[in-house]
Amino acid sequence: MPSRADLLQGTLDLLILKALVLGPLHGWGISKRLRQISGEVLEVGQGSLYPALYRLEDRGWVTAEWGTSDEGRRAKVYTLTADGRRQLALERSYWRRFSAAVDEVLAAT
Amino acid sequence: MNWTRRVGRRMDALLRGDQIDRDLEEEMRIHVELEAEEIARVEGVAPDEARRRALVAFGGLTRYQEEHRGVRGVGALEQSWREVRQAVRGLMRSPGFTLAAVGVLALGIGSTTAVFSAVNAVLRNPNHDDLAIVFYRGFPSLSTVDYRAIEEQQRSFSVVGAMRRGEAAFRAGGEPERLQVARVTTGFFRAVGLRPVAGRLIESRDEPVGAERVAVLSHAVAERALGGAAGAVGQRVTLDGFAHTVIGVLPPSRELLIAQVDIFTALQLAAPTRRGPFGMAVVGRLTPGSSFESATRDLTAISTRVFDLWSPTGGDRTARYEAIPIRSAALATPSRMLGIFGVAVGLVLLIGVANVASLMLVRAIGRSREVSLRAVLGASPLQLVRMFVTESALLCGAGALVGIAVGYLALRALVAIGPAMPGLSTSSLDSRAVLFAAGVAVLAGIVVGSYPAVMLLRKGHVGLSSGDRTIGGGRGTRMLRSGFVVAQFALALPLLAVSGLLVLSFVRLQQVDPGFDPANLLTVRVSLPTGQYGDSTAIAAYWARALPRVREVAGVRSVGLGSSTPPDDFGNSNDNFNLMDRPAPPGTAEPNGPWPSADAGYFEALGVRLLEGRMFAPSDTGVAPVALASRSWVRKYYPRESALGKTMVRGGCTECPPTTIVGVVDDVRYSGPAGPLDALYSPVVENAPRTLFVYIRTATAPDELIRPVREALRSVDPSVPLDDAMSMNGRLYAYVAQPRQWATLLGAFAAAALALAAIGVFGMLLYMVSTRRREIGVRMAIGAQPRKIVQMVVRSGLIHAVIGSVLGLAAALIGTRALTSVLYEVSPGDPATLGLATLALLAVALVACWLPARRAAAIDPLEAIRHE
Repeated sequence: MPSRADLLQGTLDLLILKALVLGPLHGWGISKRLRQISGEVLEVGQGSLYPALYRLEDRGWVTAEWGTSDEGRRAKVYTLTADGRRQLALERSYWRRFSAAVDEVLAAT
Repeated sequence: MNWTRRVGRRMDALLRGDQIDRDLEEEMRIHVELEAEEIARVEGVAPDEARRRALVAFGGLTRYQEEHRGVRGVGALEQSWREVRQAVRGLMRSPGFTLAAVGVLALGIGSTTAVFSAVNAVLRNPNHDDLAIVFYRGFPSLSTVDYRAIEEQQRSFSVVGAMRRGEAAFRAGGEPERLQVARVTTGFFRAVGLRPVAGRLIESRDEPVGAERVAVLSHAVAERALGGAAGAVGQRVTLDGFAHTVIGVLPPSRELLIAQVDIFTALQLAAPTRRGPFGMAVVGRLTPGSSFESATRDLTAISTRVFDLWSPTGGDRTARYEAIPIRSAALATPSRMLGIFGVAVGLVLLIGVANVASLMLVRAIGRSREVSLRAVLGASPLQLVRMFVTESALLCGAGALVGIAVGYLALRALVAIGPAMPGLSTSSLDSRAVLFAAGVAVLAGIVVGSYPAVMLLRKGHVGLSSGDRTIGGGRGTRMLRSGFVVAQFALALPLLAVSGLLVLSFVRLQQVDPGFDPANLLTVRVSLPTGQYGDSTAIAAYWARALPRVREVAGVRSVGLGSSTPPDDFGNSNDNFNLMDRPAPPGTAEPNGPWPSADAGYFEALGVRLLEGRMFAPSDTGVAPVALASRSWVRKYYPRESALGKTMVRGGCTECPPTTIVGVVDDVRYSGPAGPLDALYSPVVENAPRTLFVYIRTATAPDELIRPVREALRSVDPSVPLDDAMSMNGRLYAYVAQPRQWATLLGAFAAAALALAAIGVFGMLLYMVSTRRREIGVRMAIGAQPRKIVQMVVRSGLIHAVIGSVLGLAAALIGTRALTSVLYEVSPGDPATLGLATLALLAVALVACWLPARRAAAIDPLEAIRHE
């Protein structure tokens, strides 16, 4: 089992937005997809998803609505908004520059 | 970033916090269920174990719920909300205190806002800012000569108008009635600022003598007699026997000058032949550049020219026209009374605030244990202050809200049953007054509420054991509490004094001797329409038929006729005269006084004695005019000789035969209870006034005869309007109605102030007794008599009442001077009234002190000492 990386502050938002690009999901669905995408490397404390979701909703990047999940259960379903997509693009480019910078710093030594 | 949405969500989170929490809980539960199912399916473990692992992976439900709340960012707001709810619960725990405090504040705020709203409606109408009425010799009474001269020569007014008031028999199909008529010029409506709701107003084409007779109706008359404003225009109505066409209807306005007028017709002015007659009101709207002072200078120049020109036909050459603000001319009495009233309600509000403040202090002290406990449990000083402030602000806020409702009702009540004042009926609750009163209350609440907590902070420590004394025994707190109690007495005394003075004045007014016995005396006003009764012969013929019919009514003892009714009808019959043996020097004013018409029956019916000479006789037909003089008239003009046979010329008339005094009668009041008693009487047949009062001395209760007397008069001519049928006692009662109303209203406020002051000292002593239980117990244990304890408590309470009363007495001595002009035969510093008010206040204070003192004396020493 690969060791788990602690989630960097603020990265969770980026990951949630990324998870929602493919389509609306409920809370558990988001957490499952995150684990799948990251190959179980990034372990999100599942509960921390919810304050983050509220924050994203607050900023208008996702919308939430009670509906029915694929499994036929009642669940709160989150959808990425147009603002959310723009934000994702922004954060992605920021992240790339950041990680490139970190790589360079590490390579320099 | 869309911050409005975020604020919206924050508010939502604040108000629906519980709902959001429940949603989140369910969302998390579903999450854990799904995760558990997944674990069970993939790893094949039992459901219980799967659920346990799912929970571990989730990382703690409560923790994330808390974090979620943090994200919602409602911390500060939610805390305030929690404090408010906590304060509400606290107040609910002592409903008596809460109700009393809210009630006291609501009454204070409500009555203050109502009175200030009334003041605004009556005294602050911007329409009156530049409206002037012209005075001549101290009265708004001018003549055609004056009006014409002012209209032609003035340069200060944008528009000038004139009005002459009178009465007329009005008929629009139904019963005839006597209505108030004003004849006005075109400029009058424009100067006053009135527009019709239907049709048009008087225009210049209506003004020439002989123009078609037209009438403008007040809204009320159009509604009542012609079924509404719209349908009234174009209809024909009969006014004093002449047909008039209704050309317009006024809005339902209570504008000054026209508040009592029912019908307006055109004032058709013929070219004047002499200076008088007077009685015309001239109004003008100032041009933007002029002031009342500059207008008066302008008018003074005109008066000099006019008076010189017309001096041969009478008038005082030294007198001047003056432009007087309509407000001070027409609103002097209402503004004075409203001022007194406003001060009274303001005092009640202040007493109320002081009362609530002292109650709050007592309550805060009573809660010192709770405060200490909270402090020990970790509440920060700031939180403690906030706790007190929230509670008192809430209390005052509730008081303000209820107060606004009370104010609304009080204003409605004032409009409905209060003294009639122009503009009052259109008043609405004034927002500035509401803000002011509520602001005072809330500010006071916050200051008082924070005080105990601030005291706590200053002490720097709050200990459980010493909790009682940290706040309760503080010297500053005690001083403040005493100050509030003293203030209540100091504020209550002037109110008591004022209401006492008004009541005394009212009583003296009622005791005034009108000069006759008002019991068993009935009066009915008869107004003969000009159409059918055009000359004195027709008028005399009517009375020759009518008087015998009235005399035949069972229960009638004697019947008389008079043109002026006591006690305050002087304006109807004033006239000037020039004594032949002592003529007024040219260019000075002739003497002037009430000069009503009456017949011999008048003096018999009223019971006015003939003192000298003879009564009117049938031979007095006006060929050789005669008059009776009142005792005071004789004393004024012929103090050292008999007035019999003295002659005079009436009303500035140059060709009229002189009038001879044939008799002297006793005094009757025509000029109000405080007015002079001089009067002259002419026989009814001489001037043949069209409106006369019938005076009937009855054998039984006069009200029972109203119907048969009316029927008797109606049988003579049903088209003659009869009105104002009233017993003389009723008339005298109505005359003092306004003083009675003011005395009653202020009496109510004084009673409220008295009660509040009593509650204030009562509450303070009750608290004092409860905090000093132990001390009192010890005193009694070592032998103090219960009597001594009572004395001790009563003394400490009475000291406050006495200090407050002394301060209040000083304030009253200065403040009651404002009453001078509304008091009748009572000095504003009347020592008996002020002394009585002080005694009453102290007596009530004594009772309020004695009750807690008795409780103190009943303390069981053993139990009191053990209690601690």
